[in-house]
Amino acid sequence: MTSLELRNISKGFKSGKVLDDVSLSVKAGEIVVVFGPSGTGKTVLLRMIAGVHYPDTGSIAIDGEDVTDASPEARGVGMAFQNFALFPHFSTFENIASPLEARETPAGRLKEQVGAIARMLKIDHVLGHAPRELSNGQKQRTALARALVAQPKVLLLDDPLRNVDAKLRYEMRLELPRLLRTFNAAVIYVTQDYKEAMALGDYIAVLRNGRIEQWATPMSVYREPVSIDVARLFGDPTINLLSCKLTVNGTGSITLFDRRVPIAETYAHAAGRDLVAGLRPEHVVVSESEAPDAIPFDLDAVMPVNVRSVLYLRGAKGEELLATVGETEAAKFGRGQRKVWVRFAPSHLLLFDAASGQRIAPQVH
Amino acid sequence: MNQISTFEKIVRGVLIALVLVFFLFPIFWILLMSFQNNDQILRIPPSLFFEPTLQNYLALLTGRLETTAGNLDIAFMRNLGNSLLLSTCSVLLSLALGVPAAYAFARYKFRLGENIAFTLLSFRFAPPLLVLLPLSLFFKQLHLTDTYIGLIWVYQLICLPLILWIVRGYFEDISPDIEHAYRISGHGWWKTFRKIAIPLARPGIAAAGLLAFIFAWNNFVFALILASAAKQPVTVGALAFVTASGIQYGQIAAAIVLSVTPTLLLALYAQRYLVEGLSLGAVKG
Amino acid sequence: MAQLLLDNVSKTYRPRGKEPVQAVKRVSLDVKDGEIVALLGSSGCGKTSMLRMIAGFEDVTEGAIRIGGKEIHLLPPAQRDVAMAFEGYSLYPPLKVRENIGFALLRERGASADIEKRVKHIAELLEITDILDRYPTVISAGQQQRTSLARALIRRAPVSLLDEPMSQLEPQLRAILRARLKDYLIEHKMTTVFVTHDQTEAIALADRIAVMEKGELQQFGTPAEIKQSPSNLFVASFIGEPPMNIFDAAIAAEGNASAISGLGPNGQPAFRLKAPVEAANGKRVRLGIRPHLIEIGANGSADATGKVITNHWLGDQSHICFEIGGCSVVGVPDKPVEAQAGDALPVRFPLGAVHLFDAESGRALAHGLGQR
Repeated sequence: MTSLELRNISKGFKSGKVLDDVSLSVKAGEIVVVFGPSGTGKTVLLRMIAGVHYPDTGSIAIDGEDVTDASPEARGVGMAFQNFALFPHFSTFENIASPLEARETPAGRLKEQVGAIARMLKIDHVLGHAPRELSNGQKQRTALARALVAQPKVLLLDDPLRNVDAKLRYEMRLELPRLLRTFNAAVIYVTQDYKEAMALGDYIAVLRNGRIEQWATPMSVYREPVSIDVARLFGDPTINLLSCKLTVNGTGSITLFDRRVPIAETYAHAAGRDLVAGLRPEHVVVSESEAPDAIPFDLDAVMPVNVRSVLYLRGAKGEELLATVGETEAAKFGRGQRKVWVRFAPSHLLLFDAASGQRIAPQVH
Repeated sequence: MNQISTFEKIVRGVLIALVLVFFLFPIFWILLMSFQNNDQILRIPPSLFFEPTLQNYLALLTGRLETTAGNLDIAFMRNLGNSLLLSTCSVLLSLALGVPAAYAFARYKFRLGENIAFTLLSFRFAPPLLVLLPLSLFFKQLHLTDTYIGLIWVYQLICLPLILWIVRGYFEDISPDIEHAYRISGHGWWKTFRKIAIPLARPGIAAAGLLAFIFAWNNFVFALILASAAKQPVTVGALAFVTASGIQYGQIAAAIVLSVTPTLLLALYAQRYLVEGLSLGAVKG
Repeated sequence: MAQLLLDNVSKTYRPRGKEPVQAVKRVSLDVKDGEIVALLGSSGCGKTSMLRMIAGFEDVTEGAIRIGGKEIHLLPPAQRDVAMAFEGYSLYPPLKVRENIGFALLRERGASADIEKRVKHIAELLEITDILDRYPTVISAGQQQRTSLARALIRRAPVSLLDEPMSQLEPQLRAILRARLKDYLIEHKMTTVFVTHDQTEAIALADRIAVMEKGELQQFGTPAEIKQSPSNLFVASFIGEPPMNIFDAAIAAEGNASAISGLGPNGQPAFRLKAPVEAANGKRVRLGIRPHLIEIGANGSADATGKVITNHWLGDQSHICFEIGGCSVVGVPDKPVEAQAGDALPVRFPLGAVHLFDAESGRALAHGLGQR
């Protein structure tokens, strides 16, 4: 049985409609990431599941039971907030114990359960502290512990890693999936960080303008984004977008950087349309020496980024192109400010309709 | 910023001293006066050096004044008691009414909410004289003239707006997420109000209560018109020192010192609450 | 465009009624003309204090600061001729974005047409042309930050100071704006110092990075130097995402050669590497290896077998976390690896990628153990 089901949820505020006909379902033990840029209603969605806001239309069911009108305390969900929302005048222990205390758990068992989860999250040594004495990482773990301690069926995580140091964020990104799977709850995780989304989610719901634009596994969202906007949201650096037009003259081709690039037959149905070609930076091949079919570019800056480096390229007409290469390869290019040659495989191009922004899928006859 | 020159430091010091003298001097002088008898007070030129006497305080405390023109009964201690009773009860009532109201205004945005809140605040702006005549007529009809209950009720005009506006601000400063988290944990709204909202707004509630006490204590006009001598607070009671046989400056000064001391001490004590941090670090940023 | 020199600069805060706090301890830095330098560290390490001292908003307790050879640490900020982009944005509310950006240029009395052009150019660079005629109070935090940045950069001052210049930026804009920023700074040969806690940003933008912790300078070097030859454990574990894998280790002699063992959490050996290690027998050391230099699924001899815990595919790279002898190890293979939780993978630690650190002081002992 699905643990959480949302049907046709809509919500509007004075400023406009925040959620428009959103439906999704999450099974026990599954992690669904609701991903999108800020202000797109992700937090409102979470709060409606928690019972803090009420939807204008639509229904919410937990374990088959309709909870759309139920008050927050009756829903049995656990929630961890982005800004922690710890009770400042309670100790860490009392913060975590709060859900158990609400369920009138006897003192002995309560202490045991709080201790167990604190040990799991490595905050057992600060249980006696007040929230203001904790570091951000500890506060975040306390918020998580509080959400998890009563073993809720539905777990809502509102961008819990947002306010945490980059280093700790990476550690938690590795630890969280393992932790969450031991609880077998239906998890909805909200984030703006695509890497987190791809690392944590079994499914990703891309929320834009109040609607779910794409619902797919991380790999599908990355390789087959449904629109230019979705393609831009995944990948660092952002995907390169180049305007072009598909002409069919025997074989199909588009013109990029004043060169003809052959395009597979399966795209023939898009002929004559204004298109936008998407090319991910990792698919741009850069070399120091001239090669047949390679396009000359000016390499204006080199930015090492962790394991790879980003090359900032300017074309003959001033077009910008970003490419990534491995760390050792990047060393060849120094600080930039030189000429390089660029190639890419046409099969790596993603084609989008310029007017609608939707991706054009290849048609196999 | 660095390098504040010594000259600037001196100028700053002098200016601060001047302001302090300007504000504290009258209080200092009254304190001196309370230890002097009428002759010393009225002497010209006035002098800082004199033989202090406790005569004034004794007169107030015992309730008997011996002047050159005869003896007088002074009900000052009873006035002091009235002030205490009226102020305390008014503040308690306005807290009981105002704190939940402030919470409602802070958390539930309902239509006309802002208008209602502002209307309640405007009661502070209106000069008491505006409502005094109609009020005294109503009171006569309701048989509330010269009753403690009547006065406490009227004092709500002073206390309630204050409590509402100060405490509402403190409630608004509490991140709603903290209350949401408590409710999601499984607690109902009344428990959330008691265990989360009130404790976190406590500095504000205490500060508002103290301020309301001070304003109620200082009120003059309502008590003057709506109460008789037996129920008058110190503000009105001080008038008794303007007697037919002359103004008893010494006793007035002593009365003022005794009247001001409770509220002064309370205000000094309340400073701590007003400065106390609010978020207490439980919410990021 | 000038050279900036910090000479043994220290800063001590003396808050009333509390212990004095040494925020910066004898830091010396030389920033060459036209160089981009990052001050990197976690919060409280002293980097913001350093920047504010260069700008003139904090007194220098000890030491000297020189720009172009001239001592400036006693001058008020206005006379130092530095441009600063603040973390709190500090825009002038009654002026439009356009006027905010061009504000400093008015002082320099350029022709207004020229100012217009320069404002437009920098706005295009930072993608804020559509808000040029709005007021600071109605634009988003990211836009405010970019406006503040534009205001500082347009001046092309001899020294530019940027305090967390891109922290509020939407992730999608970060890569391209970093690129344009770096290009702009290089093109105009602007000496720049910026503060960040994000090592990704530091590595991307800076020619050299000054890593700070608890007020002390840990290392000052190029991104390559810092990644390949971190001077101590702190720098090694701070830099890099994923960060360097660090193990407790013990060295033992084996006949003519020596071997170094990575130790698990209980002190038992998790893997062994035959390596020429000149340290004394049994000395306590720690061993580090960067994730992308670990060879996963190696065809040749493996040093250990790792049990896969998670395999995250992030679009252009995979991060695999596996367990070796109780230790959690992260590797970034150069090609996606098909592996699921529970699979066993052979793993090799190339000696050239192994770093040794003294276990007590944290100081680096060796970068790369050569083969003999």
